[in-house]
Amino acid sequence: MIEATQETRAGWLVVVVKGRADAETADQLESALRSAVEQHAKVAADLSALDYISSAGLRAVLQAARAAETQNREFAVCGMSAPVKRVFDMSGMHHVLTIHGELPC
Amino acid sequence: MCETLELVLDGHLSELAGLTAEAERFCRAHSLPVDVEFDLHLALEELFVNSLRHGACEGLAGAVEVRLSLVPDAVVLEYADRGASFDPTQAPEPDVTAPLAERAGGGLGLHLVRQIMRDIEYHRVDGWNRLRMRRPIPAEGE
Repeated sequence: MIEATQETRAGWLVVVVKGRADAETADQLESALRSAVEQHAKVAADLSALDYISSAGLRAVLQAARAAETQNREFAVCGMSAPVKRVFDMSGMHHVLTIHGELPC
Repeated sequence: MCETLELVLDGHLSELAGLTAEAERFCRAHSLPVDVEFDLHLALEELFVNSLRHGACEGLAGAVEVRLSLVPDAVVLEYADRGASFDPTQAPEPDVTAPLAERAGGGLGLHLVRQIMRDIEYHRVDGWNRLRMRRPIPAEGE
């Protein structure tokens, strides 16, 4: 199960993601992030309440980042827990994503 | 609580939730560290999704067999599917340094499995892909 809610912080549209980003929920995550990218020039995904992510979840984040790049929007990922950050690191996401440890981005 | 968990899964993504719940129960019952539990979930999901998406297991009844066993210093994961013959230990590594536009996303799941699991062995036996691997349990204080 995954939950994504929007809030505005310091000029960023922040998508707060809670739950599990797996193969069953990845489409929902991608839609939530892409929708935010459509709405705002600066979008951050706050993953501090994300318990789990697999390659399907990573792909959802990558697709949103790609959409932001195409539309010249800023896209950042923030506040990952240690196990989630480890999955990002093992996948080389730091090469292609803006990653912040703390909010606000 | 039994030291071994055995499951048979049909080739549907909807089986993932049950697989996750059973693996969680196994890990909690044995008080395994949270990072071990995380890695087992990750390995099981990546293997199962790979069987569905690339191994022709989609829609196949009894497509996958999973076994988790506790040994003194590790969890042993045995995973078998009766899909197309495929040896993940020989699959090419994805380029995890490629720029955003060139990230196809293929191969990332198995890349993660190879990063987190140890001693991965593959055998093709009687129409089944059989994998065996270990996730070491760090000694307390490590």
